[in-house]
Amino acid sequence: MMNKKTDVLVIGAGLSGMMAAARAAQSGKKVTLLTKGMGTLSLTSGCIDLWGYEVDNPKQPCGSPFAQIQKVVEQNPSHPYAKVYDVLKESLTFFQGICDKDGLTYRDNGGENWLLPTAVGTLRPTYLAPTSMAVKDLNKVKQIVVAGFDELKDFYPEVLVTNLKKSKLLRPDCELTVAHLKSGWKKLYATSLAHRLEQPEGQREVIRQLKPLIKPGAIVLFPPALGERRDIDVAGLISKGLGCPVYEVTNLPPALPGQRLQDLFLKYLKNQGVTVILSSTVTGAQVAGNRCSHVTAEGAGKTFTISAQTYILATGSFVGGGFDSKPGQIEETIFGLPINTGDGKWASGEFLSLKGHPFNRFGIDVNDRLQPVDGQSKVILENVLVTGANLAGSEFSIEKCGNGVALASGFKAGKLAGEVSR
Amino acid sequence: MATEKVQVVVVGGGATGTGILRDLAMRGISALLVEQGDLAHGTSSRFHGLLHSGGRYAVKDQEAAKECLEENMILRRIASDCVEPTGGLFAALPEDDPAYAEKWVKACAESGIKTEELNIKELLKKYPVLSPRITKAYSTPDAAVDGFRLLWSNVNSARRYGAKMVTYHKLSAVYRANGAITGVELTNTLNGEITSVECQMVINAAGAWAGEVAAMAGLEIHMIKDKGTLLAFNHRLTNQVVNRLRPPGDADIFVPHGTITLLGTTSIAVEDPNSTKPSEIEVENMLNIGRETMPNIDNYRIIRAFAGVRPLYQANKGAGGRAVTRNFALIDHEQKDGLKGLVSIVGGKFTTYRLMAEKTVDLAAKKLGNNTPCRTAEEPLTQPVTSEMLERGKKVFGVPGYKKAAERLGDAYGKVVEKAEQDPSMRRMFCECELVSASEIDYVAKDGDSKTLSDIRRKTRMGMGTCQGIFCSYRTLGALGNNPQFTVGHREFITEFLQNRWRGIRPVLWGQQLRETQLSTGIFCSLFGMERMNDE
Repeated sequence: MMNKKTDVLVIGAGLSGMMAAARAAQSGKKVTLLTKGMGTLSLTSGCIDLWGYEVDNPKQPCGSPFAQIQKVVEQNPSHPYAKVYDVLKESLTFFQGICDKDGLTYRDNGGENWLLPTAVGTLRPTYLAPTSMAVKDLNKVKQIVVAGFDELKDFYPEVLVTNLKKSKLLRPDCELTVAHLKSGWKKLYATSLAHRLEQPEGQREVIRQLKPLIKPGAIVLFPPALGERRDIDVAGLISKGLGCPVYEVTNLPPALPGQRLQDLFLKYLKNQGVTVILSSTVTGAQVAGNRCSHVTAEGAGKTFTISAQTYILATGSFVGGGFDSKPGQIEETIFGLPINTGDGKWASGEFLSLKGHPFNRFGIDVNDRLQPVDGQSKVILENVLVTGANLAGSEFSIEKCGNGVALASGFKAGKLAGEVSR
Repeated sequence: MATEKVQVVVVGGGATGTGILRDLAMRGISALLVEQGDLAHGTSSRFHGLLHSGGRYAVKDQEAAKECLEENMILRRIASDCVEPTGGLFAALPEDDPAYAEKWVKACAESGIKTEELNIKELLKKYPVLSPRITKAYSTPDAAVDGFRLLWSNVNSARRYGAKMVTYHKLSAVYRANGAITGVELTNTLNGEITSVECQMVINAAGAWAGEVAAMAGLEIHMIKDKGTLLAFNHRLTNQVVNRLRPPGDADIFVPHGTITLLGTTSIAVEDPNSTKPSEIEVENMLNIGRETMPNIDNYRIIRAFAGVRPLYQANKGAGGRAVTRNFALIDHEQKDGLKGLVSIVGGKFTTYRLMAEKTVDLAAKKLGNNTPCRTAEEPLTQPVTSEMLERGKKVFGVPGYKKAAERLGDAYGKVVEKAEQDPSMRRMFCECELVSASEIDYVAKDGDSKTLSDIRRKTRMGMGTCQGIFCSYRTLGALGNNPQFTVGHREFITEFLQNRWRGIRPVLWGQQLRETQLSTGIFCSLFGMERMNDE
């Protein structure tokens, strides 16, 4: 059996895993990132949410997310932000630096959350958005043109317009216009549309059809499919052709903004000398005392072991595949770490409510150094660090904190792993 | 206040009520069917979809067994597109009393139910999912039936004969004068509007709600409400209905429907006919019993649990659950209570709904002085879709969507195909699990009976598949974006849609199901913020 050695082994290629790998590599460590799939970034908006609503008034979108997070940290020491608040701002700067270097700029809104339109016409609070999604001054816009494609299944301009019209944020006289573009293709998927729009003739076709509808002071909203490649600024090119700003909105997966971020990070990691092993699964861990000595993995028909000084568990929750469940039983699939299931109730009676669901809070309890701990706060495995959705105590879907927790915990785990002496 | 006039008002849009409506209409009696929710709102869409061969009742009640067999054969004939003639099998395990099997074989023979002993080795080869511990197995003529479609076929047929049907109308009063029914008052449950209907007769076919309807006329019927929970597996586990060869009990029937299999049921007494919430304990108990017949059942994903309330009737209070007869009772309230013009039809089984309707309408017709004989056993409910139309459907919807749509739409298939031929954008498949096209959604949305987005969901089966409705719920909104009736209340629709699914998913929330549920929260809350939509 082949044996690989590395300083830091990161398991999982979601946002927290890639941040951890990036930060550990910066410390000069030999880093290996192993992943089963392509992470869950392509299922996300591609923006970075830190915290969405006021802690004391959970229907009210908050201005600065930091003030709210500070409150959370003070009130709830078991929230993952309480473990990583010390590095939150640093991790954001680190993240923005990586993205900037690639040319995919992530913008903040002067310290306040953005409120950005979605495909169903809601406005979602988020902290950082790629330029192609960062709609500026929505409250001053005189016309919003929503561009759909008849052949594209999962984007309906009428749905967006019907609901966005109700927003009090818009000028009362803001005109909402539905544009049905024809691609001439029989079927369109987000990715095929993205490829088509990377071509000059694709852009020309869209501009030709949209131009007659554009009035002064307009913006155009597109499905999140303005190109897959990051070296062609599709939004910018269409914007130039139309003479007005052009944006992508958040939509169902597959959405390209999340995928672009994934591609960017993987490229960055490779450039930093990180060994990336794709399509491989960790099948077991060898533990001696309270340390992991190596893990066994399978990929491309081969079984191999990897030994590292530090293991970073960034396998995600249920969606990511880090946790598995049977009736009445939940397990962390690699180390068998205990999962905090609160009072044992798994789900709420109402599917959609401000309460969210207990299963989203399920996760591994950690100390301030992100080491897994048991019910008596005793470290279970001292060279295993836990990040992102593997952490217990947050409801990402309601609190809108998943990306922030992933960034900061990944960053912190990478930093801590970098400090381990050889 | 609007006023209408018919000879008979039928209360209850389940199998029995729609069967009665059709029978009345075919005999030339003017009738209006009133349903408080959507059609099949009650038990007729909340059962295992088994068309009994009679085998299950043969030992205990040969009369009931014979009725089942006869009706089974009639429905295969008149509703061929609603019945899948899967055949059934009865299998015994070592712990099942061998004496029962002997009695059963004899009773089936006496009732005319054809059984054939099967070679166990061959059976296990054919269905490795079955337990190798099976000691004896027999084939029977059981079948699977699509209750929802059968009901709509009845209504469509009745309408062709001039009958009327309204959904989302609740009976709010029964008018009587001089010891006779004179009419009813209906309340529209969507907008509160009140209508009064003059009639000579009311037929109470309200199933689990029959007691409530009788109470409105000042009478009492004691219904026993018996909840049965079912599990839907995301696999066709066998091609035949599988029954346990022992006295009827919980979780002893598996029924294949298309690509899924239903396992049922439980039997729990409830007070409220609306008690259709499956519990986690029921699920656990059923799996424990189901595992005896199919030991590896846990390897198959459960897509949802659901429950219905059996409306059982016992003239004398006392018995409960499976001890209560599954036979039906026709109550002539003129004779029993001295109220002219009210008839109640209670108890019974889905399989014998047509016979129940026939007996009820025989009585009603006699009272109304109508001598026309019943023809519902002879005349098919729908005309089968022609092979020429199927070919045209194949061209626009592709394989296998064209067939599924034809099965769902029946007589309306032609119109849906034509629309898609004219407008290519109508050929798009909106629901990939159930293969529902834009054209079908558009047709159903405009059929006049679809009042809410959920009605469209039920008729098209949109979002009933395995994807948890993430994509198709949004697509339904999109597909109807230009239809002003459905451009309001997006949040309510999505919330109701997801909540309905959630009721079924929550008791089976583990494994892949939990994984997808977490993804759903990510999409609907994290991406779309629907938990706070329109809150600002």
